[in-house]
Amino acid sequence: MSREVVVTGLGLVSPVGNNVPDAWDALVAGRSGIGRITRFDASGYEQPWGGEVKDFDPSEHVDAKLRRRIDISTVFAIAAAQEAVADAALEVNAEAPGAVGVMMGTGIGGAHLLVEQQRILDEKGPRRVSPFLISHMLPDTATGLVAIALGARGPNFAVTAACATGGAAVGEAAETIARGDAEVMIAGGFEAPLQPIYYAGFMAMKALAAHEDPTQAVRPFDRDRNGFILGEGAGMLILESREHAEARGARIHARWVAAATSNDALDMVAAAEDGRGIAEAMRRALARGELSPEQISYINAHGTGTPMNDRVETRAIRDVFREHADRLPVSSTKSMHGHLMGGAGALEAVITILTCKHQIVPPTINYTTPDPDCDLDYVPTVAREVPVEYAMSTSIGLGGHNSVLVFGRWEG
Amino acid sequence: MEVPRVVVTGVGMVTPVGIGREETWRGLLAADNGVRAVTDFDVSDIDSQVAGQLTGFEPLDWISRKDVRRMDRFVHVAIAASDEAIAHAGLNVSAEAEAIGCMIGSGIGGMATLEEQFRVLFDKGPNRISPFLVPMFISDMASGQVSIRSGARGPNYNTVSACASGADAVGSAFEVLRRGDAQAMIAGGTDSCITRMTLAAFAASRALSTGRNDDPEHASRPFDLERDGFVLGEGATTLILETLEHAEGRGREPIAELVAYGQSADAFHVTQPSENGEGAARAMRLAIKKAGISASDVGYINAHGTSTPLNDKFETISIKTVFGEAAGAIPISSTKSMVGHTLGAGGAIEAGVCVLSLRDQRIHGTRNLLVPDPDCDLDYVAEGARDLSFDYAISNSLGFGGHNSSLIFKRFVA
Repeated sequence: MSREVVVTGLGLVSPVGNNVPDAWDALVAGRSGIGRITRFDASGYEQPWGGEVKDFDPSEHVDAKLRRRIDISTVFAIAAAQEAVADAALEVNAEAPGAVGVMMGTGIGGAHLLVEQQRILDEKGPRRVSPFLISHMLPDTATGLVAIALGARGPNFAVTAACATGGAAVGEAAETIARGDAEVMIAGGFEAPLQPIYYAGFMAMKALAAHEDPTQAVRPFDRDRNGFILGEGAGMLILESREHAEARGARIHARWVAAATSNDALDMVAAAEDGRGIAEAMRRALARGELSPEQISYINAHGTGTPMNDRVETRAIRDVFREHADRLPVSSTKSMHGHLMGGAGALEAVITILTCKHQIVPPTINYTTPDPDCDLDYVPTVAREVPVEYAMSTSIGLGGHNSVLVFGRWEG
Repeated sequence: MEVPRVVVTGVGMVTPVGIGREETWRGLLAADNGVRAVTDFDVSDIDSQVAGQLTGFEPLDWISRKDVRRMDRFVHVAIAASDEAIAHAGLNVSAEAEAIGCMIGSGIGGMATLEEQFRVLFDKGPNRISPFLVPMFISDMASGQVSIRSGARGPNYNTVSACASGADAVGSAFEVLRRGDAQAMIAGGTDSCITRMTLAAFAASRALSTGRNDDPEHASRPFDLERDGFVLGEGATTLILETLEHAEGRGREPIAELVAYGQSADAFHVTQPSENGEGAARAMRLAIKKAGISASDVGYINAHGTSTPLNDKFETISIKTVFGEAAGAIPISSTKSMVGHTLGAGGAIEAGVCVLSLRDQRIHGTRNLLVPDPDCDLDYVAEGARDLSFDYAISNSLGFGGHNSSLIFKRFVA
């Protein structure tokens, strides 16, 4: 027996806006959130571009004592969760302790904390390392803290699957409700990778985009694309059993329809050239949702802007959707917010839900020169009104991880 | 669709008491000690200087020289355990690649790689950072690399819940099978991060034993009055879980059945367990309810039993809460008394222990329980291994952040 799951709350902190309405306006307007990195001294790099969260005041979300102990990525997660909980008008009932759970994903965890403490270890010795480091740097720190703040005592852990993390976490949370292990799940993903060692690591992998103008650096599916740009932030959803949402008269944004994950089982970095792994996840998701490919109205693509990803993903979409692929709008909002790593799948899940709600799909900006290997309708530059019944969000990660989510319009 | 029964058909283990399943199991039954002084790096200025360390583990026995360099040790260990589990189950993964998924939990990921690269960053600058840094240290890489090696293309991610990660990976894989998303899952846990930073940071959090640096073999002493913290350990365990139908279809006799997974959050404190182990009790109760059994059916508890003053006291209370007066009659043992606390691997190692205990109808004891603690007054099998006729074993895992997971395994009866 699988129960119906709906989305009743959304929250986000992102390079294009620190709440859902602001970010949605920017995405529909096609505004880039990419600029010069200020989070660390990146002056040694010629084009130090990043998708930074701007004008964000942690003190609006956590008290000073907690702020000192936690990583900025955790603050993003908490802030987005707060918005989502308020949006859903969710009150956690202490008498049903297991009814509300928390499941979030992050690719890395507390990167900023760790590098700061490594310097202390090296310079001042092990006895000066913070007693709060271990408990506050783990990928599951945010799920624990959000549970503590809300009194949410249901299923609780973090999920990691590299860049497919957010999608996998949201999917696992939805399945937890579908099988009856919780009524409500606070689910999403977050990341703050604008940090010297990770920036250098991705530079060394030659994965990052180069362009004179930061706002034009991420060019998914464009012939002249040459990499991605790291972004930071968080996306959070309140998932709820339909029964629970209707009983409390909650406003419903969309239906959760399906989730699937898969692995290429091929290479730790490169995706399978034929796109079989992500295609497999798309097929599994369609099967889980009992949908035919023709029923999908929009895909929010992983679309990182690397030469390989966009080619492989296009191939997978063609393989799964066949002729329907010619009539299927596909856009990459990473063109505007950059690649949030473990946060990407969750941020993009929020955007995908908003396309179901508003019946508008945001564009792929910077798409100017077609690539013969990428021959789909990428919604170039300008947002479009589309009757969205079912929308899919795809994520593809290092380590061969793939995750896919499908949401449906709520006819409320 | 009828919910399928899920069985265990393979186990692979790499632990401080043995490289390999049967070697580990023999070691545990013999109450061997896996805790030694840390000598791989300077610990003279760190308060805790002992750890449960692998003896004689050579990654090259499993992995090519090139790949060994491109993987962190937590992945090496996971690969060794997974290879053994797959072989034990006689599973031909590539023959049905899309029906088989992989979930290997890791709480920490590639800490050694990260520390090494921090040094490069500080000493030589960002341009010298390895292109393999990111794909080596992220915590999902055990799941990723085991898939790549075995060819498993089904559902795949890592669950992180600090010290309960391995249990949640096994539990999540169990649910994947029950909802029909795969036919078999390679599931387990791994962590290997005995580094200067990890030891220093755990010591700073006052979680580690610091009083027996000169007497490592007595440092991990769960439920003993003189326990003073846990001992960091390293290792991995992988289980092959599959639907009963799938196992029967390929003519494999299950070793045990996995019947329930209960999970809860304390929502209380980042590092301390909730008062009187309320969260842990809730996870056990949930698992018992989902298994459709009563508490009195449980014949053995493999405790989280970390050897910290608070954990062992509260876990004891939570067991009494769930089992009532019968609590005193249930044998409870802590694997950590011999291998230390292997973090994300712990829940998986202990799940493997439950499977082997049911198979052999024999349980291992709790080592180093020499001085009884009035707050810990249950049967911890202090005298060593014993024969036990039983049908259900429960494995508890409790993690920083207030995560609690209980898995219930059953003696396999067709």
